[in-house]
Amino acid sequence: MVNISMLRPERKAAPGAPPARVRIRPGRGYRVFQVVNALVLTGVVVVTLYPFINILAQSFSSEHAIETGRVNLIPHGLNLTTYKTVMSDSMFWRNYRNTVEYTAAATFVSMVLTTCYAYVLSKKQVKGRGVLIGIAVFTMFFNGGLIPNYVLVSQLGLRNSIWAIVLPNAINVFNLLVMKAFFESLPGELEEAAAVDGLSTYGILWRIVLPLSKAVLATMILFYAVTYWNSWFSAFLYMDRSELFPVTVYLRNIIAGATVGADNGTAGDTALQIAANIQAVTIVLTVIPILTVYPFIQRYFVSGVMLGAVKG
Amino acid sequence: MNAASSMNAPSSMNALTRRKILTAAAGIATVAVAGCGGGGSSKTNSDLSGNRVGAMDKFGVGDQFKATAPITFPIMVLSNPGYPYDAKWLFWSELTKRTNISFQPTVVPLSDYNQKRSVMVGAGNAPTIIPKTYHPAEEAFIAGGAILPVSDYLDLMPNFKDKVAKWNLQGDLDQLRQADGKFYLLPGLHQDVWADYSIAVRTDVLQKLGLSTPQTWDDVHSMLTAMKAAHPNQYPLSDRWSSTPPGPGANSLLSVLGTAYNTQAGWTYQHSTWDANAGKFVYTGAMDQYKQMVQYLHTLVSEKLMDPESFTQSDDQAKQKFATGQSFVISANAQEVINSYRKGIASIPGASVAKIPVPIGPAGAVKVGVRTENGVMISSKARNSKNFVAMMQFIDWLWYSDAGELFAKWGIEGTTYTGSVEDGTFKLAPDVTWAGLNPKGTKNLQVAYGFFNGVFAYGGSTKLLDSQFPTEELAFQNVMNSRRTLPLPPPHPLSATDREQATLWETTLLDYVNQQTLQFILGRRPLSQWDQYVSELKARNAQQYIDMINKAYQDYKQKHG
Repeated sequence: MVNISMLRPERKAAPGAPPARVRIRPGRGYRVFQVVNALVLTGVVVVTLYPFINILAQSFSSEHAIETGRVNLIPHGLNLTTYKTVMSDSMFWRNYRNTVEYTAAATFVSMVLTTCYAYVLSKKQVKGRGVLIGIAVFTMFFNGGLIPNYVLVSQLGLRNSIWAIVLPNAINVFNLLVMKAFFESLPGELEEAAAVDGLSTYGILWRIVLPLSKAVLATMILFYAVTYWNSWFSAFLYMDRSELFPVTVYLRNIIAGATVGADNGTAGDTALQIAANIQAVTIVLTVIPILTVYPFIQRYFVSGVMLGAVKG
Repeated sequence: MNAASSMNAPSSMNALTRRKILTAAAGIATVAVAGCGGGGSSKTNSDLSGNRVGAMDKFGVGDQFKATAPITFPIMVLSNPGYPYDAKWLFWSELTKRTNISFQPTVVPLSDYNQKRSVMVGAGNAPTIIPKTYHPAEEAFIAGGAILPVSDYLDLMPNFKDKVAKWNLQGDLDQLRQADGKFYLLPGLHQDVWADYSIAVRTDVLQKLGLSTPQTWDDVHSMLTAMKAAHPNQYPLSDRWSSTPPGPGANSLLSVLGTAYNTQAGWTYQHSTWDANAGKFVYTGAMDQYKQMVQYLHTLVSEKLMDPESFTQSDDQAKQKFATGQSFVISANAQEVINSYRKGIASIPGASVAKIPVPIGPAGAVKVGVRTENGVMISSKARNSKNFVAMMQFIDWLWYSDAGELFAKWGIEGTTYTGSVEDGTFKLAPDVTWAGLNPKGTKNLQVAYGFFNGVFAYGGSTKLLDSQFPTEELAFQNVMNSRRTLPLPPPHPLSATDREQATLWETTLLDYVNQQTLQFILGRRPLSQWDQYVSELKARNAQQYIDMINKAYQDYKQKHG
């Protein structure tokens, strides 16, 4: 939640004056604004949090209580066996491990490639810079489409390997441009000084630029990691064996199982319905890691985006 | 980059409408033309000399298929979240033992099976055996030549031909035929129409009010009136299945009512209905029978017997109303009664629920339906494989022979079941459980063994089907089995260009029929304006549409009839 005190006008003490209580009393209009602001934002928090807390409550509730619609914010008919059941499914953990591996590898590759590309693009003296930017931006608006992409990945022999997930998505152009803007905003004098002191181009990038860019790096890592953690489509498309799926595909299948159940009159396949509490437990278990990491990176996240936006 | 957009693209979990699927599939078919270069469909049935490796010399009805050498076939396998794919299933190893065939599976989650199938077929990369395809999904792949016209190769499939002849399924198969007279999907075959959907009623409320189980839709009306009199503040009927296309809402109820009135509605709505007396097709939404059906529902709503929210609410809302005793009647199938309704009302003391035999309407004691199920497509490239004949024989054995169907459904005698389906002594092994059968068993037939897998087990004789029902459902089936099955409409396949035009018309017409059906039922538009509504349909090309269908019917009759 946004800290409202940040929005207050800064206190300014007159030079030389004793540190007295020089407090500007907020005007009436401003106080009304604060109240309205707090109310609106509290509303937003409630609306955003409600579905999550509801799922959390469902995950601890009995199936019967969910079916009869009695679960809102507090678990009804407390039940932990669902957690035990889901956690004892070896395929769930197998897929969970895949998600961690895919996310780690893909984020690493993405960061290396995006950083290098963005750094080059940030140097105005590089010849052909316009073309390089053009190539990147072009892919933002046009793409080959589903089947050509599939054919390409198949022909490269990437199917059923981690590279099918890592490589096609390695550079996100939006992230690239944000990073480029950040690098451009670093004072050129720093790099010139480093060059005078004898650092090579790579040395400058590694020892000067990157340490100064922790904010944007953390932000980008978060962006990429969350995207890869949540992504399911490329894995679904390029992986042909269930032991290669990430947990998102597992989860998606479980949730679909409940909705597809009675599709059309031709119910030849007795599609088993997955109980609502199993869905809830799987969702909770899948979301937890990202949720726990988020608050710690959030401060970089906020300042990083602001830096990129303001200076870029 | 480009794939980044596809990463987040289809995040919507809603069921795709048929229209969307068709549009997407049409696009894919176009690509498939380029991708496959019309590969492989030029050879005819006559020359199979180079394709007989592993095949049996003599393979007839009742023979156990066993390849003369071990063969592996690539296959697409749908992984159902209820019983996720497992390479260790007894099904696979036993299948290999019996037939010498093993699979190289591409495992696809149920959630997006159709999309992956489209991409793989479109990219020319599909496994040779592509099961779990519902007609008319196969039509999208025909133009590209990616799938085999299987009707050319039925001579390799003695069991299939035997069942078609024995159960008189020619008319059902005709529904699958394209304008060239061939069909491209090997459907599952049922001996009889399987009626599953009806309405479920709170039997304890019936008893309390001294009512007997309603036999006709008029009885249903009196039953609801009696319930209303006893509980004036409640809607006795609150329905579900409103989000499944193509109907306007309460789609299961409309579907069974449609049959009772000799028309089509709800999720079995078809734009054209065969009028046997006139010998031509008529536009369904403009039929008098359709009007009578709408009239009936309008009466229910106007007398406050049916919850007007029935047509818009989610399934969960409807189930909650039923579970909390706010409503007493709801649409149902056998699974839902056991899995959901009965569990739901458990907290109401003395409450009980049962699915009643489909009430009878003006059409009499009839049932209607296609006896073909989802089925198997074969990639065109398989035709050039040296194992082609063996593959067709294998498919014939597994999906169409009595032994294969029994094996895929119930597994191995002595291990997963005992007794015989034929004489009704069939029983699951004591430790094996499936759906309502043997609820105390510890091993689930599907999860632990891989039998009764929706990819392999469907179709078959009525006896085989009946073996899966608990006593209660068997009683329902016995009533339904005694009803007369209506004949299916004659084939009227459209050419590719006509189909495109028809789809355009259907889109507007369907929206309008649904919208106005709802208006009439809810009383927002008086039924006195029916004739005006019919002319509004004409203004939306209903007549041209029906003319096109009738012409297609005539053309097909001349060429292939």
